[in-house]
Amino acid sequence: MHHGLSDPYQPGSSPVHRLAPAVKLAAASGFVFAVVLLPRGTWPAYAAAALALVAAAAASRVPLRRLGARLLVVEPFALGVAGLSLLQRGGVVVFLALLAKSTLCLASIVLLGATTRFSDILQTLARLRVPSLLVTTLALLYRYLYVLVEEMGRMHRARRSRTFVRGRWFAWRSSATVIGHLFLRTSERAERIYAAMCARGWKT
Amino acid sequence: MHIPDGFLDARTALAGGALAAAGLGLALRGARRTLPDRRVPLVGVAAAFIFAAQMLNFPVAGGTSGHLIGATLAAVLVGPTAAVVVMSSVLILQALLFADGGLTALGANIFNMAVVAPLVGYAAYRGVSRLWGGDLRARLTGAAFGAWCSTVAASVACAGQLGASGTVAWDVVFPAMTGIHMVIGVGEALITTLVVAAVAGARPELLDDRTTGAGRVGDRTMVGYGALVALGLAVFVAPFASTWPDGLEMVAERLGFAERASESPAASSPLADYAVAGIASPAASTAVAGASGTVVAFVLAYGLARLLVPRGARGPIPRAGGAHGSAPRPV
Amino acid sequence: MREGVEDVDALEIRHLAYRYADGTEALRDVSFSVAEGDRVGLIGPNGAGKSTLLWHLNGLLPDHPAREAAVRVFGTPVAEPHLPAIRAQVGLLFQDPDDQLFCPTVWEDVAFGPQQLGRQGPELSARVRDALQRVGLAGFEDRHPSRLSHGEKRRVCLAGLLACEARILALDEPSSGLDPRGRRELVGLLKTLPVTQIIATHDLELVVEVCPRVVVLDGGVVVAEGPTVQILNDEALMLAHGLERPHILRHRHPH
Repeated sequence: MHHGLSDPYQPGSSPVHRLAPAVKLAAASGFVFAVVLLPRGTWPAYAAAALALVAAAAASRVPLRRLGARLLVVEPFALGVAGLSLLQRGGVVVFLALLAKSTLCLASIVLLGATTRFSDILQTLARLRVPSLLVTTLALLYRYLYVLVEEMGRMHRARRSRTFVRGRWFAWRSSATVIGHLFLRTSERAERIYAAMCARGWKT
Repeated sequence: MHIPDGFLDARTALAGGALAAAGLGLALRGARRTLPDRRVPLVGVAAAFIFAAQMLNFPVAGGTSGHLIGATLAAVLVGPTAAVVVMSSVLILQALLFADGGLTALGANIFNMAVVAPLVGYAAYRGVSRLWGGDLRARLTGAAFGAWCSTVAASVACAGQLGASGTVAWDVVFPAMTGIHMVIGVGEALITTLVVAAVAGARPELLDDRTTGAGRVGDRTMVGYGALVALGLAVFVAPFASTWPDGLEMVAERLGFAERASESPAASSPLADYAVAGIASPAASTAVAGASGTVVAFVLAYGLARLLVPRGARGPIPRAGGAHGSAPRPV
Repeated sequence: MREGVEDVDALEIRHLAYRYADGTEALRDVSFSVAEGDRVGLIGPNGAGKSTLLWHLNGLLPDHPAREAAVRVFGTPVAEPHLPAIRAQVGLLFQDPDDQLFCPTVWEDVAFGPQQLGRQGPELSARVRDALQRVGLAGFEDRHPSRLSHGEKRRVCLAGLLACEARILALDEPSSGLDPRGRRELVGLLKTLPVTQIIATHDLELVVEVCPRVVVLDGGVVVAEGPTVQILNDEALMLAHGLERPHILRHRHPH
């Protein structure tokens, strides 16, 4: 699922960093779409795309180690589907193309995340007239995800330290109760956030 | 179920994008009409809540563990309209920030997990709890059944997209995806129901339709959402109907099932491997297999609800205090 | 706002009462005033109604405003349609900075208030920069709130209020959770801010250092008010209301 919750942004002042967020978002999206549109098995095109990406990564001066780490994590779902793709006529080409394309696109997004602040991406979305409820939700999600993950971790650890009964059913029940209580706290926090927004004159 | 980039061809990705835009657009418009200002921050932090909840490990066997998807849970706790926005936001953030799920596949992923999943789950939850009196046990049955249906429905759409893209052969991906997710759906149902029960144990009024905002979603809106879900499933799945031996008969059954996708999506799965022995026609046998799966899921859902809400603990869900709910507290 | 009338109190509270929907009576009959430029400490045991009182100062409570507002800010009743103007004048610092710091970056959060007031462009940037400077967080503009310490989050919230140029600061437990250095910095900061302040707190040492006047709240009513040192030295009074005489006074000679 989520491999490390760390924010991918690597602060820097390279030419890539200094590009406008909208430009980087467009470039990354464009690259991804272009790669997906490439016919299966056009290996020279894949190689060219890879070269372009490596050049951009070099220009960004982000340590390759940081960029590479996310690429090495394999999603079980993707692995499963890729495996299944072999079970058809011409499956090997499909499989290799899958691997190449998804890696290229993944790398592009990783580079985007490393050189662009998510809050800047959000502001770009707002300027692109994405509906305000969606942008606000994304902003609050981004702001509070670490808060809630930490809160949940604390509650979970507290529960586990008081649990002496083993067994899966008990563990499931316990974890579900933690999630339930997290919702209650989230609900109450949402009320206070609303109050805080009103207190500073929030106009909808 | 996050589909990465490169696994869908351009046509499928575009179709997914269009359907996602339609579903999310409908939800955003509905929210603008019915969501009071006071609930806007809740949609945001609820998204963070679902994200956090998805991280919790639920040990299964050996070293493996399962995770909550949370679409039905979101729909039960904040209403279906907000749930679409919540799940979409989670998927968008995962794609952009954590490269979890592709950018071209974002449309398909949103359609599967943020439109189909919460709406199917909610429809089942609402249908079951209303039919059974709306008390806690009915709601838990509905939540469990809804969570299972939503998982399977999403996997059906996902399989259709992978098949249509030529990534995996249809007769491989369909049974595999649907089969696995019928099992995963049990876990999802279990976790979802336990969480709803925990919330109901502490603050039952939070489940009241007027609090969640679900009360403002009229039946016409539900039909509208249902049509979109059915359209999507038809777009991705119906083309494969012709690969079945009983051609036309199957197409008719498929489209018929597709329209009722919100009730029993599993009924449309052509699980040849799971066909009931002794029935000659593959179409009929897979239909029976699918229907049996759904019935079993429902019975298990009811059993779970009975386990959690024993005899004598039944009663209506209390209303939230006052016409506007209780005032926020400073602490 | 009535301006130029010299003897209008910054804050005037008359017979304020409030009961929560579940029946809890948080405030029974509270009356006191705060003159412009005053720094008043609001102390009392848990459950006395301190936070509830602060939430009335900018109209967050009551949910359904009564016709006769019990609270007046510079003479204007805290009720519709004056609420937007009141909220620009009264800056409320919430108990949990995570509730108040809701934007994804420090800059956006401090800019939130002024933006709602219509400021934009270079004027907005200047205000934000200035406010962050005053709380000692220059250069923190791009930080994500989760990367800040508790004290830093508090200071960002305070900057957000200063950026609105609030004339009254209502602070709810501003020093809770701060380490000794953070506390010292906060005390120093509060002493330099020329605005009217009402500070609800358990930190009696802070009250002695910052507030010349104190109001003691218990069970929803004002049980005492007056000069800080005099009230806090009254050991019997302190103990009767779940408080105690702070150490800082035990080693002082009465003036």
